[in-house]
Amino acid sequence: MQLGPDPSSVRRRLIAASCALLSSSAARGEQGSVTDKIGRMVEDWKIQSALAYYREDGRIQAIEPVISAVRDLSDGGRLTLNFTFDSLSGSSPNGALPNHNPQTFASPSARSLAAARHLYTVAPGRLPVDPNYSDARVAGGVDWTLPLSRLTRLSVGGKFSYEDDFYSATANAGVEHDFNDKNTTVSLSVSSENDFLQPIGGAPTPRSDYALFEKGGHETKRGQGLLLGLTQVMTRNWLSEVNLSLDRFSGYLTDPYKLVSVIDGAGDPVGYVYENRPDSRTRRSVYLENRVGWTRASAGLALRYMTDTWGIHSDTAQLRLRWWNAGRDQYFEPSVRWYRQSAADFYRPWIAPNAAQETYLSADSRLAAFHALTYGLKYGIKLTDRLGGFGRGGTEFNVRLEYYQQTIQNGPAAPGALQGLDLYPSLKAVLLQIGFDY
Amino acid sequence: MAGPCEVLLPATELSSARELGEVAAAEAWRIEKKYSRYRQDSVLAWIHAQQGSTVRLDEETASLIDFAQQCFVISEGLFDITSGILRRAWKFDGSDRLPDVATVQNLLPLIGFDKVRWRNPFLTVPDGMELDLGGIGKEYAVDKAYDQLMARCPAPFLVNFGGDLRASRPLPNGPWKVGIERPDTVQTAAMILEVEYGALATSGDAHRFLLKDGVRFGHVLDPRTGWPVPDAPRSVTVAASSCTEAGLLSTLAMLKGARAQQFLQEQAVRYWLLR
Repeated sequence: MQLGPDPSSVRRRLIAASCALLSSSAARGEQGSVTDKIGRMVEDWKIQSALAYYREDGRIQAIEPVISAVRDLSDGGRLTLNFTFDSLSGSSPNGALPNHNPQTFASPSARSLAAARHLYTVAPGRLPVDPNYSDARVAGGVDWTLPLSRLTRLSVGGKFSYEDDFYSATANAGVEHDFNDKNTTVSLSVSSENDFLQPIGGAPTPRSDYALFEKGGHETKRGQGLLLGLTQVMTRNWLSEVNLSLDRFSGYLTDPYKLVSVIDGAGDPVGYVYENRPDSRTRRSVYLENRVGWTRASAGLALRYMTDTWGIHSDTAQLRLRWWNAGRDQYFEPSVRWYRQSAADFYRPWIAPNAAQETYLSADSRLAAFHALTYGLKYGIKLTDRLGGFGRGGTEFNVRLEYYQQTIQNGPAAPGALQGLDLYPSLKAVLLQIGFDY
Repeated sequence: MAGPCEVLLPATELSSARELGEVAAAEAWRIEKKYSRYRQDSVLAWIHAQQGSTVRLDEETASLIDFAQQCFVISEGLFDITSGILRRAWKFDGSDRLPDVATVQNLLPLIGFDKVRWRNPFLTVPDGMELDLGGIGKEYAVDKAYDQLMARCPAPFLVNFGGDLRASRPLPNGPWKVGIERPDTVQTAAMILEVEYGALATSGDAHRFLLKDGVRFGHVLDPRTGWPVPDAPRSVTVAASSCTEAGLLSTLAMLKGARAQQFLQEQAVRYWLLR
């Protein structure tokens, strides 16, 4: 089938014919402006990057650049890569209690109390912290989603994390299926994690006397997880999601650097022991999130309840609101998060001498009963039209500021000499994050 | 028209939005009632009932027949509104039941717009032949509804009848975002197009085909042979200034089969083609 000598005359004649048919409405000769800003769809990456600065009052500070890249594949699948680098430094609590007298500890790298350069002394009344804490972590992950059919997708992924004293590798796989004109999605995923720990100075014998410096070599731990999820579009503006998850960890779950003070009846420390945690932990959690969206605003409320075999149960509630300006190119997003947890069964801020019946114990404040509030504010601005053509749809600059305050529930009253000391200090921390999405 | 039809308006009052929606709907139903091949009270049914006698057409129908004739000439016989009777032989239900050659052969003498006598406004359709405006009806309805709204609505709006759409001008804070679903069973991701003004029309439908011995027979039939155009693309979307023009271009591209992409490139239109 050959066309006439000028191929584009087909179009011109067609325009003329439709003009005649429609008289007024086909008056415009141009083809209209239909652009396909589908750069993300076809062989193109969408990049998100951020730099975060985190500081705990008087303790840790961290700098963390993160970059992630997402690419939509021509078969409808998706590939996600991410990469993080953490640099932490500062002071980390070692688990011992404050005292009216100065206390001296050895850094994890020390082999005995005689090696002076590895020692640090804590002033009276202060929470003992290791001032030489520093760590660098590199982590990355890959995730690949491929469609099995029009309504079903399979994902597989892997993550790794590498620090001086800790390596971790995780593999995960999941399936998702849509029903009800894609208004309902059900998902099931499993994951498996393997960690290799090589504590600085060696892993101490759990529950052993600190002064003996009984340290061994390396340890391992494993984790498996199962997640069942249901997402439902409730109305045009409202999306609801519920997840049930079950995780099990086993192996060396103890923190090799943490101690527990041994305090006698008068309140004086007679020594310290290394902590010891059980070698298994099973955790169940339920998560419910509701998100609503309108033209200029959106809101999300997320709730989580978690319980585990260490006796910890926790509740979390987080509320996020986002407001767009009239031009819909800038937004503010305030958020608030409330968290409460109960203490682990074996949480002991200190122990009495000869408390031999207590096999498992830890003074790590992260296992204590506490509640915490986080206030956050995020600001974002779309740069698409501001960079003179450089920006694509979706180019955005954002800033997030968060303030975290944790209050540990007061434990048993301390004996004798420890009264008057703040044994359960609260923690305050600030996070500043600057991000650029392209 | 069996797909969902909508009009998108950034109106602030529900009552004015509803009114405009009803205007567009009324126009769509009017056209459907007048030109549907399924309705006994349509103009087409009336023409067929004349069994070969000459009829005088109203202005609107006359301009549609004019347009169909021009398309027949421009496409050198590929676009033919008398080819509708091939649906008696072909049922595109995804099965492997091809019609037998004789059935199709027997229909060919009843196909061919050159056999119709047309001198505006007088039309003579030979007895036994049928006219089918399914190939242009929906896009025409979009353009007519668009005209109705243009006269009444100063705000930007977008008319979308089952995927054939036309926008008057961009929204206050940016273009309209239109999702085009891919017809493939495996791909779920839609293409997102940003439309400021103009029309889009799509030809092709993944669910209307036959599959026999691994060969896929698309539903676009060549009126000269009565058989599906070989190597027709699965879907073609074209952008143009009117929906009728876009619709014709996408239909013509499908009829070009293996040369669809080349045809669209020669026409210098924005298009998206899937095989």
